[in-house]
Amino acid sequence: MSWMSKLYETYEAALASELPDRDMLMPVSHTIQNTHVRIVVDEKGNFKRASVLEKTQIILPATEASAGRGAGEAPHALADKIHYVAGDYPDFGGKKKAYFPGFEQQLGDWCNSDFPHPKAIAVHAYIKKGQVVEDLIKASILHVDESNQLLQKWPHEVSEENPLPSIFRVLPKTAGRVEQGDALVSWSVEKPGNPDSQTWNDPDLQESWMEYDAMAPGANGLCYITGEEHKLAKSHPAKLRHSGDKAKLVSANDLSGFTFKGRFTDTKNTIAQRGSQAVGVGLEVTQKVHNALRWLISRQGYRNGDQVYVTWAVSGKKVPDPLADTITLMMAAPVFDLEKELSPQIDHGMDLGQQFALRFSNYLRGYHNYLEPNEQIVIMGLDSATPGRMGVIYYRELLASEFLDRIGQWHKQFAWPQRRTAEVANGKKKPGRKTIWPISTPVPRVIAEAAYGDVIKSNDTLKKSILERILPCIVDGQAFPRDILLSALRRAGNRNNCEKWEWERNLGVACALFKGFYMRHPDLTKRREYKMALEQDRHTRDYLYGRLLAIAERLEEVSLNAGGENRPTTAERLMQRFADRPYSTWRNIELGLQPYIQRLKRDRAGFLTNRNKELNAVFEAFEAEDFTRDTPLSGEFLLGYHCQKQFWFKQKSESEN
Amino acid sequence: MKNSISFRVWGRYALFTDPVTKTGGEKCSYHLPTYEAIKGVLKSIYWKPTLVWHVDKVRVIKPIRTQTKGTKPLVWGGGNSLAIYTFLHDVEYQVKAHFEWNTHRPELKKDRIDGKHFSIAKRMLEKGGRQDIFLGVRDCQAYVEPCSFGEGEGAYDTIDKLGFGLMFHGFDYPDETGKDELSSRFWNAVMRKGIIEFPRPEDCQVKRFLREMEAKPFGLDETLRPVAVEEARI
Repeated sequence: MSWMSKLYETYEAALASELPDRDMLMPVSHTIQNTHVRIVVDEKGNFKRASVLEKTQIILPATEASAGRGAGEAPHALADKIHYVAGDYPDFGGKKKAYFPGFEQQLGDWCNSDFPHPKAIAVHAYIKKGQVVEDLIKASILHVDESNQLLQKWPHEVSEENPLPSIFRVLPKTAGRVEQGDALVSWSVEKPGNPDSQTWNDPDLQESWMEYDAMAPGANGLCYITGEEHKLAKSHPAKLRHSGDKAKLVSANDLSGFTFKGRFTDTKNTIAQRGSQAVGVGLEVTQKVHNALRWLISRQGYRNGDQVYVTWAVSGKKVPDPLADTITLMMAAPVFDLEKELSPQIDHGMDLGQQFALRFSNYLRGYHNYLEPNEQIVIMGLDSATPGRMGVIYYRELLASEFLDRIGQWHKQFAWPQRRTAEVANGKKKPGRKTIWPISTPVPRVIAEAAYGDVIKSNDTLKKSILERILPCIVDGQAFPRDILLSALRRAGNRNNCEKWEWERNLGVACALFKGFYMRHPDLTKRREYKMALEQDRHTRDYLYGRLLAIAERLEEVSLNAGGENRPTTAERLMQRFADRPYSTWRNIELGLQPYIQRLKRDRAGFLTNRNKELNAVFEAFEAEDFTRDTPLSGEFLLGYHCQKQFWFKQKSESEN
Repeated sequence: MKNSISFRVWGRYALFTDPVTKTGGEKCSYHLPTYEAIKGVLKSIYWKPTLVWHVDKVRVIKPIRTQTKGTKPLVWGGGNSLAIYTFLHDVEYQVKAHFEWNTHRPELKKDRIDGKHFSIAKRMLEKGGRQDIFLGVRDCQAYVEPCSFGEGEGAYDTIDKLGFGLMFHGFDYPDETGKDELSSRFWNAVMRKGIIEFPRPEDCQVKRFLREMEAKPFGLDETLRPVAVEEARI
């Protein structure tokens, strides 16, 4: 399908390009694995020294069978685990099956073929002696007990002076035991006059192995990706998301289970001769495709548990990540001023929404210039249901201009002041934290948290499915799912289900979703646009009720503060009821406000006058029947509420500055 | 064109399986219907071994949307396994197709009566198909209705050209090719202004021989009801 051919194109483009991290792109016939021990030999195959490595991943040459190996015997070409590499492993009580003869045979065949390499020959000469474990024990890398059997646990006490030997630290443990035969050995061949002694990044060595592996026998047939005749792959690579990942995108090993057979009459013999009837992919093609995918995932993939989403341009150029948040995206732009971004200057000629749209367009214009308009951008999502198989859950190809347009629309339509904390320099003391409300768009993770709360923390499936549903809104420009919106609105209307800062964040997210939902409502007659600032001339019932609530809360809040009391205000407590029955709840709130108004008349008369003016303005704006109707409010009241509060917040910060 | 019908087929889900993903069990759909899938729809509307349906054009009406569903497919040895299938969601296509006589079945020559097959096909189309219509896999139920090809607005009418790479076209079955072989065909899929024009099966350049297979024999009046009798019954 197209995703495989696109990945193939990406691989070829990356190889040909000058990208700085193209060295991370794995060559064909190699695989990536963690290594634990390094043995240095000279060019004649004599042991020189050894060391233990921590957290080192190398690229090692592998056959098709060994790259995707599971439980059976499948030796790698050069670097492999001790139970493959050491002839004397069984003599030291090794518990794993000794696969030395197969390994030695394979390496010997390579060295005697038309594509030998001096380093491989040196290693072969060394392992033929069959002394690997003995040498490692002498070098204190591996450890044995009194009867010369390999230890499974370090029996002595561990302390500062006698630390745990490194080999026990780096090897993976099962049930507290460590199998020393599991250590992967990588080689260095030192030759006087040749400074480059390593074997895992040596392009000559890689070439020679690639050429030898290409000579291996295999069935020829039609490759379904390129449409040409190629040597077909018998198995496909795994290790896409990380080096221990056994999930495969393409697998064809179920010959008895009717996963796919039906009209095909494949048997092991027919597959060996002519390839599988169901599908055929060229060996080189599949390796390049999976290597490209692995490289892209590690470089720019977005992970959500088992799911991975990756966005890339076929040419390898940088593209904006559809799942990144607005500020991070804009920070990646060439000219960016974080200070200015987080506390924008108020340009009274344009409103905030327009300013934000302008800034974001500038940012995107940089990308428009950088990418060709017809360049192909691909977005792909992968997920696995079982540990052995992975499926493509999302796949889109877009032109660069389309892609940038859709990202622009998402960020502009769903932008709203969001709650963030910023560090504020505080002289010599530790920097303080200040709450700010920069305009940005919530990312899917935050939307999920706002809409579902703590449930998300334990429910991976829900998190995954939300991300899956929101991604088409970002990339395809689809309408936002109404149920997520309603869930977010409901949670933002209830102040008691989370901490105060969380509630404030949920409020910002809910407003953003409401605004965006109505801006791209599938029914054109129902579309509405909201500004991010207080709209004095918006006279819809819900908006005005939201403003009323905000004014009432502020009145009481200031009065309580003036009296030094720290209680939740009536408006806060009754917010959820207010959303369900505004008119009757307003009566309660208004009655409850009277004592505080009295207090304010005494202490803050000016403030009270201003608030009364606002109250009157709102009351006048109401249509008569709208006010007395007691039907539940839609999410619009949150917009009115938040805009009113933001209005005062800005006034305050302006006057502070 | 002679013996041509045009109709619209729509359904909530469709799964035109990509062979590369089929073998692993995590089926992923092509974004476009395959020739074989539409031929399957036509055969469900009306088919006799005397005729071979040819799909001329398919027009995509609704925008392409995918949806993944976790499923528990049955395992031959008993029990279930888990898999994630990627379907196309909310699809609608307009199809224009015609049938020709199957020249590789000389024993059915008496059945090739002009007009009768066509009238049955049209009547069955009005009724929504003789058998259940499905898009790709049997789980994806669909419905058909006669319409005139090209009417109404489609989601991709303004897009000049969209390429989809090498796609599966269909299978060459022995009863339609005359050779005792099963082969698969591929083509480079292109959609121009929302319309996919499939090449004829003989014109597909990329073919792959799969295995030997024999055509099922049909005997007129023995295993096959002649069309005159059929028309009288319906």
